[in-house]
Amino acid sequence: MTTKEPIIQVKDLAVSFRTNQGLVRAVRGVNFELYKGETLAIVGESGSGKSVSSRSIMGILAGNAIVDGGEIIYENQDLLKIDEEDFHKIRGNKLGMIFQDPTSSLNPIMRVGKQITEAMILNGKRKKNKFKDLYHDKEVDVINARIDLEEVEADDSLSKAEKSERIRAKKLVLKEAQKALKARMKTAKVEIEAEYAVYKQDYKAKKKELFNTYFKGDKKGDVLEFRAKRAELHDTYMRKIKVTQTEARDEAYKIMHEVGIPEPEKRFKMYPFQFSGGMKQRIVIAIALMAQPEVLICDEPTTALDVTIQAQILDLIKKIKEDRHLSVIFITHNLGVVANVADRVAVMYAGKIVEYGTLDEVFYDPRHPYTWALMSSMPDINSKEKLQTISGTPPNMLYPPKGDAFAQRNPHAMKIDFEEQPPLFKISDSHFAATWLLHPDAPKVLRPTVIDDRIAAMKEEVKRLRGEKE
Amino acid sequence: MNHEIVLKVTNLKQHFKTGVGKYKIYNKAVDGISFEIRRGEVFSLVGESGCGKTTTGRTIIKIYKPTDGEVELLGRRIVAGTMGYKQEIKDLRKDTPQKIAEIKVNENLSAEQKAEKIADLKSKKNERINELRKEIVQAKKDQREKYRPDQAEVKQVKKEALGKIEVLKKDIAKLNQEFLQFKATAFQKTDSLPAGTPQARKDEVHDEEIKVYRAKRKEKNQKVQALQDEILTLSLSPKFYNRPLLNKMQMIFQDPIDSLDPRMSVKDIIAESLYINGIKKDQVVLDKVYEVLKLVGLQPDHADHYPHEFSGGQRQRIGIARAIISEPQLIIADEPISALDVSIQAQVINLLNELRIKLGLTILFIAHDLSVVKFLSDRIAIMYYGKIVEMGSKEAVFNNPLHPYTLSLISSIPMPDPDYERQRGKNIRYNPGVHDYSVNKPTMREIEHDHFVLANDVEFESYLKKINAKKAKKQA
Repeated sequence: MTTKEPIIQVKDLAVSFRTNQGLVRAVRGVNFELYKGETLAIVGESGSGKSVSSRSIMGILAGNAIVDGGEIIYENQDLLKIDEEDFHKIRGNKLGMIFQDPTSSLNPIMRVGKQITEAMILNGKRKKNKFKDLYHDKEVDVINARIDLEEVEADDSLSKAEKSERIRAKKLVLKEAQKALKARMKTAKVEIEAEYAVYKQDYKAKKKELFNTYFKGDKKGDVLEFRAKRAELHDTYMRKIKVTQTEARDEAYKIMHEVGIPEPEKRFKMYPFQFSGGMKQRIVIAIALMAQPEVLICDEPTTALDVTIQAQILDLIKKIKEDRHLSVIFITHNLGVVANVADRVAVMYAGKIVEYGTLDEVFYDPRHPYTWALMSSMPDINSKEKLQTISGTPPNMLYPPKGDAFAQRNPHAMKIDFEEQPPLFKISDSHFAATWLLHPDAPKVLRPTVIDDRIAAMKEEVKRLRGEKE
Repeated sequence: MNHEIVLKVTNLKQHFKTGVGKYKIYNKAVDGISFEIRRGEVFSLVGESGCGKTTTGRTIIKIYKPTDGEVELLGRRIVAGTMGYKQEIKDLRKDTPQKIAEIKVNENLSAEQKAEKIADLKSKKNERINELRKEIVQAKKDQREKYRPDQAEVKQVKKEALGKIEVLKKDIAKLNQEFLQFKATAFQKTDSLPAGTPQARKDEVHDEEIKVYRAKRKEKNQKVQALQDEILTLSLSPKFYNRPLLNKMQMIFQDPIDSLDPRMSVKDIIAESLYINGIKKDQVVLDKVYEVLKLVGLQPDHADHYPHEFSGGQRQRIGIARAIISEPQLIIADEPISALDVSIQAQVINLLNELRIKLGLTILFIAHDLSVVKFLSDRIAIMYYGKIVEMGSKEAVFNNPLHPYTLSLISSIPMPDPDYERQRGKNIRYNPGVHDYSVNKPTMREIEHDHFVLANDVEFESYLKKINAKKAKKQA
C-alpha cells in the first residue's frame, strides 16, 4: 500500500563532525524520499553515514556535528532549521526511533512501565498545553521580533545613525509584541480557569451526589464501593487536566500487548535486567509506539539479537507497520534482513548513496560495484567456495577522496573514478546508481558470477518451496 | 580426514551459583554436553545468546572451573569436575542405611545372614567411597596440572642439544682457524713485489688479492652465521619441548577492541606467549612475530604499532596472530566475526579457512550466525539452554534438521533474496513445551551416520520415520 506521496524528503544533506584531527565528512550530499506506508532500507557498513543521516532526521546529532547544508522536509517545514522547542512536538510524537542496543537504550534502574509511560505523562499536561496553545501565536511574534532585532544589531553594512534608528524601531516592535503577549496570557488564563472551573464544579456536584446516594441520612452504603466510585470520578476529572497514571498505564498495557509482551500487567513492574534481549527490544518498540508516530526509524534494531529473535522482531515491525500505516526507515548491514523488510533500498558508502531503487531492482539487477561486492562477500547458507572479499578498508573521511570513494577498493575502477565523482545515473524510473560504469562510453563490465549463481539457485529453491507448499 | 581425536568433552557441566542461603540459585549454563573434535576439522557450536556456548569454550580452556564432567586434549584429561563423584558419595550415604533397615525388617533371613549382609553392604559402601575420594583427589590434581612433558625427557633433549651445540661450536672454531691461516698468506703477492715496482702495478695486485680475501671472508661469515643460527634453535629446543600441553590450545576472542591491551605494542601482544614460555631472545621472538604477522596478512612493520592504530578487521588479525604464534593444535574461536563489519567479516573467515589448511589447525568455532557456520564448519552442534539438541555433519544437520529447535533456527535465517523472503510464511517458533519428558527422559541418539539428536523413545521413532520418508522421496 505504498503511495507516491513523500512524507520525508532529504535533499543534499551534508553533515560533518569536528574532531581533534579535523572535520570528518560523515554525510556528503544525500538525497532520498520516504513515501507514505513504505519501508526504506539503508544499507552500508559502519561509518558509511547511514546512522548519521537518520539521526539528523531526528535532530539528535552529537554535539560536535555540523550540518553543512541541505534540507529535510517534513510537513512542509525544514527539520534542520526549526528550533528545539518546536522539535519537541515532532520528535517522539511524529517520528519514533528504535536503537540498536536495547540494553543501553533502557534505564537500568527504572521499571519498564515507568519508562514506557514517561513520555506520555510528561507530554500530557492537558490544561497547561491548552493554555500554551492560546497564546502561542503571540509568543512567536515576540521571538520573531527578537530575531529581527538581533539581525539589525549584527548588520555592519548600515551607517551608525541609520542603525540606531532601526534598532530603536525594532525595539519598539519587540516591546509591543511583549505587551501583547502579556495581555493575551492574562486573558488566556482567565479563559482557561473559567473553563476548568466548570469542570471542577461539575466534579464536586457529582461527588456530592455520589455521597448522597450512599450515606444520606440513615443510609449505610458499602464504603469500599463508594470509595472505588469516588476514585473513578476523581480520575475522570483529573484526565481533563492531565494524562493520569491509570490512563497511561492502560494505554501501555494495550501497546505492550500489541508488541507481543505476554502478561503486560506483570511485566509493567519489572526492571529491564529481568528481560531477555528480544523482550527488551520489544519494550523499546513499545516506548516508540506510545506516542503514535507516523514515521519509525529503526537503527539496526536486530544487530544485537540472535537469528530466532531477529525473525520475531522483524515480523513484529512488519506487523505494526501494516496495522498503523507507518512509514519505516530501516538501517541495517544485513542484506538478508533488507530482503525481508524493505520496499525500497538505498545503499550507502562513504557518506553518499551509491545505489537507490526498489527491492527487486537492487537485488536482482545491482549496478554499482560496491553493491556487487557487498552481495558477493556475504556468506549465505549455500556458498561453498572461497568468499569474495572487498579488499582494503573504507576511506578515511577526514580526507574524503576526490573521485569515487569506492575506487580504491574497486577492481573495475577506471581512471575517471579517481578523478571525478560519478553522478547518479538513471537506470529506470525508480533505480539509480552512482558509478561511471553506467556512462555510455564506459566499457561493459558484467557483475560477478557469484551473484548470478545465487539468484539462480535461490530461484530454484523458491520454486521448490512453492511446489512443496502446494 | 584424519580420525585422531583432538578434543573430547564428556558430560561437561558448568553451573554458576548466585545468591546465598535460601536465595541460592544455580544457573545451569552448561548441563551435560558431550562431543568429540577430530584433527583438522572445524566444529561449530551454535545457539542463541545465553545457551552456554561461550561458557563451554571458556570451560574447555580452563577459564572457569567446571562443575562436572571431563575434557580430554590429545588424550590427556585437562579439565575434570567433581560434582558427580560427590553426588554419588552423598547418595551412598543416604541409601545404605535404608537398605540396612530393609534387611533388618526382612523375616526370611536368620540373624547371622542379616549380620553378614549388613557387613557386606557397609564394606562395599566404604570401599566405593574410598575409590570416589581418590577420584576426586585425582580430578583436582588434573585440574591444577599444567602437563609439562616428563622432565627427564626434557633433560635428555637438553643434553642432546648441548652435545650438538658442542660439535657446532667446534666447527665454528675450525672455520675461524682456517680463515686465520688463509689471512696470514692472503697478501703474499703484494708484499713480495720488488721495491721498484710502480704504484699502479702495486694497486692492481693488491686489488686482486683483496677481492679474493673479501669473498673468502664473506663465505666464512655466512657459514658461521648459519651455524650460530642452528645453535640458537638448538639451545631453545628444550624450552620448546618443555611447553605445557595446554599451550597447544589457544583462544580467539569476540571483541577485537577489548581483547587487546591498548598499552602494549603489537609485538608485545603477539610475543607474550613466547615470553611466558621462557623464550626471550630478541632475535628469535622478532623472527617469529614477523612470520605470524605475514601469515595473518599484516606487514612486519606493524609490529611496532599499537592496537588503536588498526581497524577492527586488522585487530582481529592481531588476535589470530597471538593465538597461532605458540603453534597450537586446537583453536577456540569465540564469535570471532560477530563484532566485525560486513565487508571485513568475509576477510576474516577466509583467513581462518586458509590458516586451518596451512597450519593444520583444528577449530572449535562458536557462533550464532548460521550462514557463516555452514560455510566454515565440518560438523555442527546446536545448543539450547545448556544442552546439545542436535549434532552431526554439516550436511546432515542442514539437509535433515530434526529437532524442532534446529528447524526454527534454520528457518529464521534471513536470505538476501526478495522472492525467497516473500514466500516465507510465519516463522516457526520453538516451544520447549512440545516435548513430553515427564516419563521418558531424552538422550543423545544416533539417527543416521554422524547425526545425533536429543530425543526420547517416542520422538526418536517419529524422527526416524521422517528421515526415512525423506530418503525414500529422494530415491524416487
